[in-house]
Amino acid sequence: MDTQALLKKVRRIEIKTRRLSNHLFSGEYHSSFKGRGMAFSEVRRYEYGDDIRAIDWNVTAKLNEPYIKVFEEERELTLMLMVDVSGSENFGSKMQLKREMITEICATLAFSAIQNNDKVGLIFFSDKVEKFIPPAKGKSHTLRLIRELIEFKPQSSKTNIGEALRFFSAFQKRRAIVFVLSDFMDNRYRDALKIASRKHDLTGIRIYDPREEDLPNLGLLPMRDPESGKISWVNTSSSKLRSKMRQRFAEFNKYYRESFLRSGAGDLTIRIDQSYPAALLSYFKKRSR
Amino acid sequence: MFDYEFQNPEFLWLLSLLPLLIFWYWWQGRKAQAEIIYPEAEFLAHQKANRWAFLHRLPAFLRILSIALIIVAIARPRSAEENTRSRNTEGIDIVMAVDVSGTMLAQDLRPNRLEATKDVASEFIEGRPSDRIGLVVYAGESYTQTPLTSDHKILRNALKDLEHGLIEDGTAIGMGLATAVNRLKDSKARSKVVILLTDGENNSGEIDPLTAAMLAQEFKIRVYTIGVGTKGMARTPVGYDGRGGYFFKRLPVSIDEELLQKIANETGGQYFRATDNEKLSAIYQEIDQLEKTKLQEIKFYTYDEAFDLFAIWALGLFAFEVLLRYTLLKNFL
Repeated sequence: MDTQALLKKVRRIEIKTRRLSNHLFSGEYHSSFKGRGMAFSEVRRYEYGDDIRAIDWNVTAKLNEPYIKVFEEERELTLMLMVDVSGSENFGSKMQLKREMITEICATLAFSAIQNNDKVGLIFFSDKVEKFIPPAKGKSHTLRLIRELIEFKPQSSKTNIGEALRFFSAFQKRRAIVFVLSDFMDNRYRDALKIASRKHDLTGIRIYDPREEDLPNLGLLPMRDPESGKISWVNTSSSKLRSKMRQRFAEFNKYYRESFLRSGAGDLTIRIDQSYPAALLSYFKKRSR
Repeated sequence: MFDYEFQNPEFLWLLSLLPLLIFWYWWQGRKAQAEIIYPEAEFLAHQKANRWAFLHRLPAFLRILSIALIIVAIARPRSAEENTRSRNTEGIDIVMAVDVSGTMLAQDLRPNRLEATKDVASEFIEGRPSDRIGLVVYAGESYTQTPLTSDHKILRNALKDLEHGLIEDGTAIGMGLATAVNRLKDSKARSKVVILLTDGENNSGEIDPLTAAMLAQEFKIRVYTIGVGTKGMARTPVGYDGRGGYFFKRLPVSIDEELLQKIANETGGQYFRATDNEKLSAIYQEIDQLEKTKLQEIKFYTYDEAFDLFAIWALGLFAFEVLLRYTLLKNFL
């Protein structure tokens, strides 16, 4: 992907997701993740309608003009986005790939965080931690994150969610808001999830494609497994095989739900042909209640 | 079935291109394939329910097989039948005079004299493909069943259809021999032979056997005489039972051996006595030996082209492949 196209794409995602975060999530994100206490931030000129109790008399006396103190909620929260970049994310039968949807969700969350003065960090993982971008503030940082989300090429294509969670728990000592975005086609992350969830405010966002739930009957097909890269012929006409796939999908689903419920973390499941803003919004609303 | 030879065996070298073709198919299958990316493909591939997936190779396999068959068909396989047909430069004309009188149904030969004679004579005809042979039957009188012919198929059919009761009963040896001689008298063959077969004594007809023998001698016809019948008693039919069968009675066998001997001697032939099937068969073989013709062996081959078999199979497999491709193994890529 050349730079021009990449920038264009970053721009497109920025416009789309910033609008979302401005209009929809401005309040919801803020109130979902609260900081601790109020802290003085600056003084500014008094304006009509300001609370007179907030006037800073010392400054007013010095400058012979009324000034008031401005307090801000002490937030300085850290938002950690953990993104699964394993092969299985490069699948999508509808409008977009799972990975594209993840990118948009991440961008939305990042912009919401930046607006609320939070730091945003990013971890790419497959069966190991592929890339770690330390948390920082600012719009340019967010744009960099989006660029990485679009163009990052993982070394490995397998999945190990537990490994990524262990890595994160080990280095992030302060409490952080964590979003794990993956298809959760894995069933070995329960313990790591428990540990990570104890310290951090953790949410899993599971993106899945309806074709994963229901293998369509397309006859005898060559299929490439994105995780192993192997091509094998699959007889999708076999109803037994299709029900096997449904069963496997249901297993992963159950494991995911149970794991997140038991560890007290939030979970959110989005089908790729659904609208993610609506899903995010309802999730935030549910949390702030 | 597989002893084919090929008319254009050089085309079989094309078969050596088949491994190349197989490789090409394999390569195509690997490289230029539009495969679907599916997260759990490997899991699915290892399921038991996926065991028929190997059938995706079937169309390519059928295609290669039909190409191989086409190549073989192009090489023109054929089964060759080597025929050594003997052409005698100087043909022999043979007339077989067969007695069909009632006593020929006597069962001292199996199943009876007439049937045994028909079998053996048929073999005899088969063994002499290059001679012209005629068939004369006689009982109370005589007639020509088949004139001299080289169409031995007709001859053998005529022989097969011989039955007792076609003509008035009796044994007119003289008439039979005379008719046979009549058939041979205009023959231009170097060698002329009559095989006279009887089982009794001359008891009817207007021509004396010896007169007929003299005729034969006149026309330089050799007469081999065969007396059929065991020595002693034989189960001989004596009357109709009214249901299409016969009453049998054991009667003494009386063959006028003296007469037959005489006929043979006068014409330069030989007299034989057949007391059972084996003996009869041996006699015919002996006559066969005695009348050896100068043969000119001509070898020639009749080919049975078999390419159509291969072509049909190739077409069938190809059709099957196409059918599979668009029905059972159809996919939506």
